[in-house]
Amino acid sequence: MSEKILKEKGLVVRHGALELMEHWFIALSGLVLLLTGMFQMPMAGRYYITSVPGLTWSGDYIVSLYVHYAASVIFIAAFFFHLFFHGLQNEKALIPQRGDIKASVIVVKSFFGIGEEPPFHKYLPEQRLAYTGMALLIALLIISGLIKVYKNVYAPDMNYTVVLWATWVHNIGFILFILAFLGHMGAILLKPNRPMIRGIFTGRVRLDYAIHRHPLWIEDMEKMQKKETPELTEKTEQPVSVDAPLEEAVDESGAAVCGVSEAAESKVESEAAPVVEEPDTPVSDDNAENK
Amino acid sequence: MEKQKTFGISRRLFLKISAGLPAVAGFSLPKFAHADNSHWQATLIDLTLCNGCMDREIPACVSACKNINKEKIPPPVSPIPEPWPRKIIEDWSTRQDVVDRLTPYNFIYVQKADIENGGNKKTVFVPRRCMHCDNPACATICPFSANHKHKNGAVVIDQETCFGGVKCKAVCPWQIPQRQSGVGIYLHILPNFMGNGVMYKCDLCVERLSALQKPACVDACPQKAMIHGARRDIYALAEERASKINGFIYGKKENGGTATLYVSDVPFELINKTMKKKPGRPDMPVDVKRRMAETDGLGKATLAAPVLGVMAAGVGLSFKWFYRRKDQIKGEGENE
Repeated sequence: MSEKILKEKGLVVRHGALELMEHWFIALSGLVLLLTGMFQMPMAGRYYITSVPGLTWSGDYIVSLYVHYAASVIFIAAFFFHLFFHGLQNEKALIPQRGDIKASVIVVKSFFGIGEEPPFHKYLPEQRLAYTGMALLIALLIISGLIKVYKNVYAPDMNYTVVLWATWVHNIGFILFILAFLGHMGAILLKPNRPMIRGIFTGRVRLDYAIHRHPLWIEDMEKMQKKETPELTEKTEQPVSVDAPLEEAVDESGAAVCGVSEAAESKVESEAAPVVEEPDTPVSDDNAENK
Repeated sequence: MEKQKTFGISRRLFLKISAGLPAVAGFSLPKFAHADNSHWQATLIDLTLCNGCMDREIPACVSACKNINKEKIPPPVSPIPEPWPRKIIEDWSTRQDVVDRLTPYNFIYVQKADIENGGNKKTVFVPRRCMHCDNPACATICPFSANHKHKNGAVVIDQETCFGGVKCKAVCPWQIPQRQSGVGIYLHILPNFMGNGVMYKCDLCVERLSALQKPACVDACPQKAMIHGARRDIYALAEERASKINGFIYGKKENGGTATLYVSDVPFELINKTMKKKPGRPDMPVDVKRRMAETDGLGKATLAAPVLGVMAAGVGLSFKWFYRRKDQIKGEGENE
């Protein structure tokens, strides 16, 4: 757990270096797999992709298979590392919880201006659902892919039913993976989610954003810091406040974007009262970063 | 105890991981890529016996093959949809009687090779068809697995699921499969943008094999130049015949090994010299490599990747446990 509140810098460490590496290894190798997976279809020659500078190799099925395999080594190893490294430590922040489906509906509605968001833990309920969906999809792609590789290398006369199942699970998984990737990109581009973009590049998000959108997470971190280093916590006992250096000025939609409803605020106040103070001014959202 | 709980990994688990790592490290994949071929069948084509059926209008093997497959391809739709953006249509339905090359309607033809060997002239007749390779790239990397090597060794294209993308032809060292546009499943999906027909080639009369019969071409050969049987027996017979005539074998090493062995008293380098590679008329390069073998090493790495990931997690957890424990001991020392 590398999560930490960096009060002086007005930031919160959301992901450690290892988690960032896991994400980017899977993301980048996944994109290479998508691309070379497409090139395994007889399309590069037909659609003149081979004429694109730098992609002349795309029409050579053996070369694209070679690249596909190379990317799959990283992709699969990173997936299994993630599964075992975090699974054995019983990390559950991204595992769906009871009521996530219902909560996700509320959150998604709020993205379209209907209602307001509830206070969040580290992850949004639909993030937990999407993560699980993506993990299952990746698991299916890996299992079916491994069967196909085994067939290619060792058993070309593998049982045809098994081969057909593996092929079609892999092909349908490929289409779903493209959709999942597009969904992932779409979600991160939604205005309320944009402050998280810096998180996946630098590991840190703005403290004011975290306090207003993820108060339950901040509360957990405070509790954890208090438990682990009581002497340190005593020194920094004063509540984390965002009165101090907000990174940028506020836009008029800031409060709405941060979206802490009155009910949510009262919940935050009652449950996390010692930790969080409301800022005097409405807090900026992603615009602050973009300016 | 509290710290151990928050870390989420107990001493017992740590020991389990430590004990498991060496076992995992010992995990290794077989070095050589080969399938269990005990059920495979094979064909011997003895070029010292084949006379090209010069006394017949059409060689007997070609005639038998055409006859048995005459109803195979349904009539193509008319007009055949024009593919986009490359407007290539391959329609052999109006030229079904072509017998001197491979076409979607002709899975075997006899190639005549006039050879000059040290001043001696000799004509060799070479029946050409799919070799039914041991590890056929045409089948293993078909994106829809429409092409598959069956347990009896026959490499068969399922015309119901083939999209006619020509990938199998592109990866075959002899470019054996041939396309007929205007037929097949692609017509029901996106005929102008995806697929372009169905690929056809010799299927080793797979249905006859299931009925414990020989391929039609083998049965039809008046010279008994073709012999079909268990792979082990055919390989032994080819060796025996080749050594008797101090001859040569083609198909044993080519493309990683095949289920078709040619035996000749003339070196295949010389036979190949007479063959100019043309569409539907492959040459016979000696020792032609299985290109997909280049990817086998990385394929094995892919198969080992789950173990690599678990091992890395084990190492990571061990480090984490070690440093946590070190801090704990340091803390206890300071408290004392």
